[in-house]
Amino acid sequence: MKIKAFAVFVLVIFTGCNPEKDGLTIGISFETLQTEYWVASIEAIKAECKKNNINYLEAVANSDANRQFEQVNNFISRGVDGIVIAPKDAHTIIPIIKAANRANIPIAIYNRLPAKNKGTFTTVVADNYEITRSTVRFMCDQAKATGKKYKAMILIGDLGDINAVNRRKGFNDAIAEYPDVIELVAEVPTEWNQEKALAGVTNALQAQPDINFIFTSSDFLFPSLVSALKNAGKYHIIGHEKHVLLGGFDGDATAYKMLVDGYLDADGVQDVYYECTAAVQSIIKRINGEQVEDIIVDPGFVIHQDNLKTMSKKMWGANIALKEGLNN
Amino acid sequence: MRMSLNKIIQRLLEYATIGLFILILATFGLLSPQFFTLQNLINVLIQASSLAIIATGMTFVLLTAGIDLSVGSVMFLAGVISGKMVVSGAPLWLACIIVLITGIVYGFMNAFFIYRFKIIPFIVTLATFYMGRGLGLYLSDTRAINLPEPFLQIGSAKFLGVPFPNVNMVLVVAIAHIFLTKTAFGRQIYAVGNNADKARKAGLPVNNILLSVYLICGFCAATGGLVAIAQLGAISPTFGIQSEFMAIAAAVLGGTSLFGGKGKVFPGTVVGAIMIQALQSGLVMVNADPYLYPLITGGVIFLIVLIDSIRHKERIKHRRLKVTV
Repeated sequence: MKIKAFAVFVLVIFTGCNPEKDGLTIGISFETLQTEYWVASIEAIKAECKKNNINYLEAVANSDANRQFEQVNNFISRGVDGIVIAPKDAHTIIPIIKAANRANIPIAIYNRLPAKNKGTFTTVVADNYEITRSTVRFMCDQAKATGKKYKAMILIGDLGDINAVNRRKGFNDAIAEYPDVIELVAEVPTEWNQEKALAGVTNALQAQPDINFIFTSSDFLFPSLVSALKNAGKYHIIGHEKHVLLGGFDGDATAYKMLVDGYLDADGVQDVYYECTAAVQSIIKRINGEQVEDIIVDPGFVIHQDNLKTMSKKMWGANIALKEGLNN
Repeated sequence: MRMSLNKIIQRLLEYATIGLFILILATFGLLSPQFFTLQNLINVLIQASSLAIIATGMTFVLLTAGIDLSVGSVMFLAGVISGKMVVSGAPLWLACIIVLITGIVYGFMNAFFIYRFKIIPFIVTLATFYMGRGLGLYLSDTRAINLPEPFLQIGSAKFLGVPFPNVNMVLVVAIAHIFLTKTAFGRQIYAVGNNADKARKAGLPVNNILLSVYLICGFCAATGGLVAIAQLGAISPTFGIQSEFMAIAAAVLGGTSLFGGKGKVFPGTVVGAIMIQALQSGLVMVNADPYLYPLITGGVIFLIVLIDSIRHKERIKHRRLKVTV
């Protein structure tokens, strides 16, 4: 009797308590959730899953590639039907792709292009180079229209991050097209660190007080940039004679607020909704045996004062800011 | 003759930090004329303030041969709590007090686990490092908290013509220096760092001393965080990341031994913090290749740690010689 009761109990534990039994289940693994962008991304992926009646498991690796590998192995042993992963970097993702391929589970790589490998996977990635180049080109055109010469500064991200490297390259290539207008006088490495950004910008403005063209490789560094500009008496609204041309990359809530307030000239926006939908859809298509591209590129877009009203609906940061009433 | 040679080597090693500091200043001074301007000097001092305060707390811990990896998380967590309070309308002074209390509570938590359960500081503070950051991210919803203008005004305020961050740095460093050099408590910290067992046998309250240094470290981390936030005007989810390593680097650059029992807050740690900032400032001033920054900074830190290691060996050799003589 006791044995029968125990058998029933075990059966209930292994069947009744498993909410992922019906329909597809996707494992979502993120390297980190330490910026607004990643949070907005994981939320958008979860929303897309819900829209398609897909269950999901979540894991965050806190910037630890080994932990991420273990988390994906855990997904595989739990029998997920697909994996969406935002990897730590281009190389540590390769064994993860191999593990998913061995288990015959479709895998979509979000936001970072893996290094060359023979695995089967779909990468959904923003065109960091092109979005940056378009944004900086727009800024250069604005500069050219004034007839003045500009001294430029760029805030560079972590040079171990391929996205940061591509954004720097996009910036350099764009300003190279305007040699008569733009002179690059400062490259400030920030390692994606707010305090280093503040110190670096302050020092650069000290060394080159005439800097009047600044691009940050990520919007989350804007508070540091603005603080340094305010301290140097250089933070002025667009149209002011001392206005410093400002540009950024990401499309976060701070950038949106600066656009609305008239301080930010242009921002390169990653289309989070497009990327997340594409990642989940690629998994569904592979499960259904349909053909999927190896790389899905998010062309992104440039948002500026002239198209703010029309394009802000697609800007993920605008949605966050509007939800919070622009208070924060 | 052998003793005097040892003494010469020790003296040279003793002043290695100052020598390196002068070399860095001279090099950047030659490469960039703006480097030696008064305004740049003030900027470097302001930028070094937060790090100097955090590194002061770290020096207390290192003197006992301990380590605190949680300081960056304390900065972040305390910042998030105060930021949330200010944004929701709480008075600024109350938020500042809560920041400092958070630091002290965090320091107590570290000390409690280290000395109640005898877990090594590295493991405890590594765990609280993750816990603090996790809690901060949870409370902030991984959103940047933009602080109201009065917070920024604190950062740019002046007291008798001296910038607020420097006033804070001078206060914290002066109190810490007096504590370490003029009080019995200070001498006890060095004694515990030199040999905790001997200190215990000599009747020193080792556990209380160790508890105190982690409390001081937590307090300094929160204060340093407050100084940084007042300048930044916002707390992003990455705020405070790697600050623990910079604080350790500043203390070690200033001559504090990782083996405990040796080091000074002033001039040592303060010079270490200013050196790191001067290095960063100089590299920006000369518009160095961004790939050179970590190479040069890492090289300087490596050199000083190497000197510390040689200095430590010399010290032990010197003690042995004394015993045999």
